Amino acid sequence: MEQILATTFRSAAPLVLVATAGVFAFRAGIFHLGLEGLMITGAFTTVAVAETTGSVTLGILAAIGVCMALSALYWWVIGPLGANVIIAGLGLTSIGLGGTAFALGAIYDRRGSLFTDVVLPRPLSGITSGPGVIVSEHSILVWLTPLIVLAAWIVLRRSRFGLRLAAVGEYPFAARTAGVSPSIMRLQALLIAGALCALGGAELSVGALHNFTENMTNGRGFIAFVAVIFGAWHPIGAALAGLFFGLADAIGIQSQINITERVPREFVLMIPFVLTVVAVWLGGLWRRRSLEAEAGYAELKEPDF
Amino acid sequence: MTVPSGPAPAAVPAVRCRSLGVSFGAVRALHDVSLDLAPGRIHALVGQNGAGKTTLVKVLGGLQAPDSGEVHIAGRKLPSGDARAARAAGLAMVHQHFSLPPSFTVAEALELTAFRPGGRSVYRRAELRRRWRTAAAEIGGEAVLSTRIRDLPVETRQSLEIVRALATDARVVILDEPTALLTPTAIDTLFERLRRLRDDGVTVLVVLHKLREVAAAADTVSVLRDGELVLGPSEMSELSQGQLSDAIVGPASGADRAVGVEAAANGERQTLLELVRVSSRESAFEPGLRRIDLSVDTSEIVGIAGVEGNGQRSLVSVIAGLDAVVEGSMVLGGTEMTSAPSARRRLRGLRLVPFDRNSEGISRRAPVWLNQSALRLIGRHPRRFPLISLRQYKRQAAEAMDHWQVRYDSVTQPAESLSGGNVQRLILSREMAPGLEVLVAAQPTRGLDFAATNFVRRSLRGLRDAGAGVLLVSSDLDELFELSDRLLVMYGGSIVARFEAPYDRRAVGDAMTGALR
Repeated sequence: MEQILATTFRSAAPLVLVATAGVFAFRAGIFHLGLEGLMITGAFTTVAVAETTGSVTLGILAAIGVCMALSALYWWVIGPLGANVIIAGLGLTSIGLGGTAFALGAIYDRRGSLFTDVVLPRPLSGITSGPGVIVSEHSILVWLTPLIVLAAWIVLRRSRFGLRLAAVGEYPFAARTAGVSPSIMRLQALLIAGALCALGGAELSVGALHNFTENMTNGRGFIAFVAVIFGAWHPIGAALAGLFFGLADAIGIQSQINITERVPREFVLMIPFVLTVVAVWLGGLWRRRSLEAEAGYAELKEPDF
Repeated sequence: MTVPSGPAPAAVPAVRCRSLGVSFGAVRALHDVSLDLAPGRIHALVGQNGAGKTTLVKVLGGLQAPDSGEVHIAGRKLPSGDARAARAAGLAMVHQHFSLPPSFTVAEALELTAFRPGGRSVYRRAELRRRWRTAAAEIGGEAVLSTRIRDLPVETRQSLEIVRALATDARVVILDEPTALLTPTAIDTLFERLRRLRDDGVTVLVVLHKLREVAAAADTVSVLRDGELVLGPSEMSELSQGQLSDAIVGPASGADRAVGVEAAANGERQTLLELVRVSSRESAFEPGLRRIDLSVDTSEIVGIAGVEGNGQRSLVSVIAGLDAVVEGSMVLGGTEMTSAPSARRRLRGLRLVPFDRNSEGISRRAPVWLNQSALRLIGRHPRRFPLISLRQYKRQAAEAMDHWQVRYDSVTQPAESLSGGNVQRLILSREMAPGLEVLVAAQPTRGLDFAATNFVRRSLRGLRDAGAGVLLVSSDLDELFELSDRLLVMYGGSIVARFEAPYDRRAVGDAMTGALR
């Protein structure tokens, strides 16, 4: 049980961070399918810079910078250049996955993974017995994640910035009437999302582990996107959804350790994905009640009037 | 800037525009429009659909940058296409389409749009409600502040738009077709409010469609036609109704023919559409039907009156076969059709002019010819070859549209590029074609200019005279009184009153507001 809880929080933290990024983008009206690419770019940049400079802080700052730059590029492509949001997002994911694998080979002349000893501090790593083991292995970023979610909630639900952002996503015309530039608001939302993806990637590589591995995000960016939808693009809802997927992941890992004799491994590995499908279905049922507003969210295009 | 001397009004115009020009591609929306609006008066702006009214209003509000020309507010030039500067200069807009995000609460919407510099950027809900308490007094008090925009009745939304506009201490208020969605009573209230604004020294520019409304509300009137100002701001008192309509319509260009269709007129009176104790499920926006009894016979127009949101949409959806009948039965042309699919109803002669022409009446991205031909593509025709000839369909579509005087450039342009009135004509040209037995017309003239309105009304009468049955759902009482042979009033999903001509406006109004219950 302790093991499951411990694994849940560790699995959930990167998902929650990236889902929060997705919420920012979604509120601005962007179906952000580039989360996966940004996340893996964040993971790689953190490891590479931390290993080179010996400072994990510099590593994370560099990751945030790179992910924000990529986000700005994404904005430029879907905004001023008018590319399709979904296609460009998938492109961003391909760039992230392919680019990090390529960089690994080009810079370090290796395939597979890159190890580092420079990792995030784990504040309670001294505890080895009792219920404390639930939290002992958690990096500082796991501890900070609830605060980041709370901050996201305040910004999105209790600030003028959040109102403007929601107006841009739901009804750009309303935003323009209020003297807000939808384009600039989308850029800001994407930059914030980029930074959060970098943190999610960093937690994955130097928080929970000691390395960067090719394709180590393994679809987490997409699961985070599902969490955004499942959580009705509310920061708390998305975080809870992320936590739920973390739990599913933990159950999968634990049962893999405990019951492999009786249940085929493939079945156990499937559990998180089955739960994801069920969750999306439930989310759809639940959302049908609120109808209307969602239709506007997907539209990056200005409605004509 | 020098004001030209002469008999011009001494005061600096509240709004002045000079040689405004706007083009969208090859379409000239505005051409060389110069207009001075005197302060502290109610100015009406009228014109046909596509005459450029909305474009002009958007240019004034900074939401559309003009290709040429400039706008001055109270003597100061505005940077072009800058909504924020326009608001800072004291200009507030109430748009034709509601401009508030549906999922916002009223308090959030006011905070978003009512632009007051300063204040903390992070708030608590209670604080927000306190801040907007006074503004909410006019629209139903503090309780309304926590309501979501989408849950507000249409009138309250409209009032909120005006409250929002005025919360910025506006000196000039521009309203784009504010009456299109309102009941007669709400329109009177709106005009009363505009007069109060004028008496407080605010300059009002209001876009209107109906000449009766212009006469009721405006001090001066300006007319746009094909993007040009054809009648400057003229005093209403010095203008006859005839002069005004001539200015709007322009030189006679082959007067609108009323288009009739040869419906199955075999002289004998029979029931074409009958609903017996029909109930349906409620939707997110409306009550469902509650045991509705209704029939439409040959050669009659049955009117459905009611404040919007009392089940009219459900009624149309049920008849069209889009909403399921929970109990009761429906007979169409002598055949039981309670749960028949839409296509079968169509083949049986049911035709439909839906509430929202842009989302329900056309496929916006599809070319106009395909929209026009849609009905010919449904259903099975046993002896007809399953492949179609595009050229033939396009030609037939073009013929039908020419007959209905749809203004279009090419049969392949997307339907969304037509103006509102022309979209409606396109829909009518499709629906009112041979084979029609019953027409369900939902708000067929909403938002149309008066020439197009007359055209639609003549066409409906023509249908009736040719033997068809028409169910006319409208929120325009004058229209219902003018056209209907019988009038039913819906309230809360039921039919609460039935009237025969001549109608008593007062009694119908009482029934609409539920006073009979």
